[in-house]
Amino acid sequence: MTSLETFLAAKGIYFLTFLLLFLGLYGMITCGNYMKKLICMNIMQVAVIFIFLCLAQKDGGTIPVLFSNLRNAEDYINPLPHALMLTAIVVSMGTTGVGLALLTRIKEKYGSIEEDEIIERENK
Amino acid sequence: MPSLFLEAVLLLILIGITLTIIFGKDLLTVTIVYCSFSFVTMFLYIVMGAPDVAFTEAVIGVVSTIYFIMTLKTIRRHTK
Amino acid sequence: MRKVLAIITLVIILLIPTFLFDGIMPSIGDPNSAPNTHVSDYYIENSVEMTNSPNMVTGILADFRGFDTMFETTVMFLAGLGAVLILSNRPNIKKRFIIPRNYIKQRPNIGAPRYKTINKDVMITLFEPLMMIYAAYVYFHGEISLGGGFQAGAVLGLAYIIDVMIVPGRRKKLFALDKGNALSIGGIGTFIYALTGILTMTGGGLCLEYDKLPFGLSHAESHSAGILMIELGVTICVMATIITILNAIMGRVRFDDDPIKRREDA
Repeated sequence: MTSLETFLAAKGIYFLTFLLLFLGLYGMITCGNYMKKLICMNIMQVAVIFIFLCLAQKDGGTIPVLFSNLRNAEDYINPLPHALMLTAIVVSMGTTGVGLALLTRIKEKYGSIEEDEIIERENK
Repeated sequence: MPSLFLEAVLLLILIGITLTIIFGKDLLTVTIVYCSFSFVTMFLYIVMGAPDVAFTEAVIGVVSTIYFIMTLKTIRRHTK
Repeated sequence: MRKVLAIITLVIILLIPTFLFDGIMPSIGDPNSAPNTHVSDYYIENSVEMTNSPNMVTGILADFRGFDTMFETTVMFLAGLGAVLILSNRPNIKKRFIIPRNYIKQRPNIGAPRYKTINKDVMITLFEPLMMIYAAYVYFHGEISLGGGFQAGAVLGLAYIIDVMIVPGRRKKLFALDKGNALSIGGIGTFIYALTGILTMTGGGLCLEYDKLPFGLSHAESHSAGILMIELGVTICVMATIITILNAIMGRVRFDDDPIKRREDA
């Protein structure tokens, strides 16, 4: 392993993934539009899934589907985080749907989905 | 492992797409860019050795994008 | 306030590589790290003998951790129920139907395709059965190759979404589900999952212990039958939830493509 690969395995990939996570958080804080907030929430979810899948990787392992001549545990990538994250992705679609339904109601009630306009109308 | 370089490059692409989403003004553009975000994510899952998760992401990304575009018919398209 | 929070976020981003990654997170690709050793070795070595499914992800999802997946399916059903309940009030009719002047001027009768050269109906009619056959393939081969209940349900939902895109009135729909029917079909899917657990309990075992299914099958056959039964429930629930949320959002779509009207609104 070269030094760059060692750096990437120890720190680099984790740093980029955490950067993606905090960029999603930054977007959720700064964007005033509720739809962009929802999209940034989805980005944060993707970053969390990346962290789980980084923990599952294994040197010299193949995908977790059985080959006839491989029986040992070190020949396969860890399939447990895959099974957990597969349901998390499907549930993220459900939360997106509920969030968009709330967005539609907010638009009908207040006539806008910008945060400052809604606060202005409430304080009037 | 040589795939670590590919993972780093794909993560940099994802960070660029995220910046485009945060600073974009047109909501339709933002939604289409989010669709490409989900596509690059699917490729990254395959590189990480999780083809099951990649399959799920490929299907669910399309469904989420359709939901976003349908909601765009009820709200205004341009942001401040 | 918002700018202060943003600055705090940026400071956290800059502090992470110096403090957090020094020995706390394991190195990527290390076979002896904590997540790769204890229980996952047991899963990998015993998955094929105990669950009779060569795809280990499906084996863990549907057999070792089936109780977990049952409540994930319930969460999906509750998401569809929540979307319907949030949008269950009756909208103001005058606000919903704005007469789109320019839209009508370009297309004399609404419903006719704008582009005559591409026949969308024929393409979709050819495409839909292929998608449903592919969904059936993904469902039945979920334990042998990639795929499973969640993916098959999502592909079926996509087939319904394409079916909705057809111009109305031209052709009868392949399958039409309105709001209440789709929701109750999602409940039926969740019930099929729970029924599998009840069947194993009547056979004298624990919940979702497929060896005790009261069909008189061998070890391998009973595990395959159990995985197929619960994946049928997951498929139906995911498909119905996608259709439910789609119908709930589509009931509120406004046709304000008219730029003049939009300028008056704003």
